[in-house]
Amino acid sequence: MNPSTSMATLSASISALADPPPKLMDGPAMDYFVIEMVNTLRESSSVAISRTKKIEQEMVEAGLLPPPGSATATATTKRESARDSMSSTPRLDGGKGELSEEDEALRQRLESIGMHVGANVAERLCHDRALFSDTLDAIKFICKDLWVACWDKQVDNLRTNHRGVYVLQDNTFKPISRLSSWEGRADALRRAKLYVAMPGGIIRGALARLGFQAAVVPELSSLPQCTFQVKLPKGS
Amino acid sequence: MAPQLRLNAVAFVSPQNHPILIRTFEQPRQDELKYHYIAHTSLDVIDERIQAATASKSTDCYLGLLYVEDVAVYGYMTPLKVKIIIALELSDSIVRDADVVAIFKALHTAYRRSVANPFLRLNVPTENVTDHSILVSAGNSRWQAFRKRVDEIGRAVGGFQ
Repeated sequence: MNPSTSMATLSASISALADPPPKLMDGPAMDYFVIEMVNTLRESSSVAISRTKKIEQEMVEAGLLPPPGSATATATTKRESARDSMSSTPRLDGGKGELSEEDEALRQRLESIGMHVGANVAERLCHDRALFSDTLDAIKFICKDLWVACWDKQVDNLRTNHRGVYVLQDNTFKPISRLSSWEGRADALRRAKLYVAMPGGIIRGALARLGFQAAVVPELSSLPQCTFQVKLPKGS
Repeated sequence: MAPQLRLNAVAFVSPQNHPILIRTFEQPRQDELKYHYIAHTSLDVIDERIQAATASKSTDCYLGLLYVEDVAVYGYMTPLKVKIIIALELSDSIVRDADVVAIFKALHTAYRRSVANPFLRLNVPTENVTDHSILVSAGNSRWQAFRKRVDEIGRAVGGFQ
């Protein structure tokens, strides 16, 4: 009968648009990309930094800038791309382990990439979900769905002080599980700090897209265990 | 053979209650302002419904029929607080809930695919990733793909050209 066939065609084409079949990709390819990304961005950020230093030097010679008396010169250049100029945000790892200037720029780039990725992954994962009932529900969504989607397991331990600070602990965090350094464990720990910058950004971006402006601090005490400290602003 | 459901208009509203896209599918394209007005009034109804829903602890995204004012207006709120509003033409046949939910899911998919485009706001600091007004002002030309996807959904529903 005509009405039922038109209804059938309606639901077939709409459901094709509503739930498109997922495009799948090889898992290890993603791991290789993420590993190589850190090295490539290190090159790229060192090029960007040397470019801005050269411009600064020219400005100093032309007499437009006072000669650099302190180490805060990089924060004043205006010719950088928007991602670099986020240097006004306070350093997130609290002074434990000084990152050199280049590493800091690299970390910021990785984090901004992570934020974009995290926001869109959260968008995708929320497609079939119901609304979040409260903040704890959103954090649990991050611990379970986001972690499984990105790193194939769930968070091992979630602690909170019920005042907006959550600690997510993962005992074998996938990006750093295979990291080792021939110079010993301390050196491996130092290098691992950059590899967890992007996952920290992913968490931060996902929370931001959900509506929570949070500060995410990754902490490494012993490989491959990693904790993320998530600080939500007061009143949520 | 006349299609069963005619989609008149679609509106997307950001979490900060800014309009992202309002698109109409009526044959004589002259009443666009009417749909801006409808989208605006539905925001209030949506707020009411959301408060009622949180009070009764129900967490459904689909908000159902909001109100009727010569078109039937349905609402949907994604977990990321983006609101989608559609206006369906009143007809005597029964409109199934499942169909309307399928339409909303298709619209949500179109939105999320367009927003995932990293070239949408290349030169904007990523600190305000929640501020959709930056997204919208970033360039209306870049939203063309989004508009085309929404048009496709409109065509699939109603058989317009």
